Amino acid sequence: MEKKIGIVNRRAPHGTTHAREALDLSLALSAFNESLSLFFMGDGVYQLLAKHQADVILQKDFQPMLQMLELYDVEQIYVCQRSLSVRNISVEQLVIKTTLLSTDEINLHLAKQDQLMSF
Amino acid sequence: MSDHQVTKFTLLVTGNPASHQSASNAYQFCSAALKAGHKVSGVFFYLDGVLTASNLISPATDEVNLPDLWANLAKEYQFPLEVCVSASLRRGIVNQQEAEQLALSNYNLKSPFVLSGLGQLAELSASCDRLVQF
Repeated sequence: MEKKIGIVNRRAPHGTTHAREALDLSLALSAFNESLSLFFMGDGVYQLLAKHQADVILQKDFQPMLQMLELYDVEQIYVCQRSLSVRNISVEQLVIKTTLLSTDEINLHLAKQDQLMSF
Repeated sequence: MSDHQVTKFTLLVTGNPASHQSASNAYQFCSAALKAGHKVSGVFFYLDGVLTASNLISPATDEVNLPDLWANLAKEYQFPLEVCVSASLRRGIVNQQEAEQLALSNYNLKSPFVLSGLGQLAELSASCDRLVQF
């Protein structure tokens, strides 16, 4: 049976390349694995917040690539509700469709994965 | 080892070999697992981990040379050292073929490291019992 792979995004979109390269990896893995889940928690939720101005800090704006997740049939995209609320971010401000989960629900979903990669 | 179950590992190495302990930890884990009789499907280098594949890394003589350690271990136990090509090119890790295609004056990929795509990580992830990230 196909392994369930979870990619955990915990960092802000810029400052390090973790977010961008985790998204590259997610898009690449989606071609090989249909049981891919993405998790956004902690500062990782900022990756989903609209209207980055990456060019101002000499970075590539990779946010449009998030839209490709839907084209690649990556539908299990989970966001930590608590991480959003402590940062005063509402769901309407996110650029892609996601499923909000409580901390307990996130833990349950993480436990279900066969492999986790964390960025 | 015959009374122990053999586990097949894939390692994902994302730490910078010059500045992050995780790069050394990955090597120590890999070496210990192999010596205990386990198997390694392959090691995939991503993010700053790709810098491990440079043949220009030259630490002082009383310091550890991680790329040499990896190269020797991979030769001894015959497992692949795969390096993500897009992460590598961004960081100046280049093989002869890429250097020619991109008209670069030099290349520096250390043997037996090989440049490969993220699809290779998907294959390594599918073929192992456990994936461990460093």
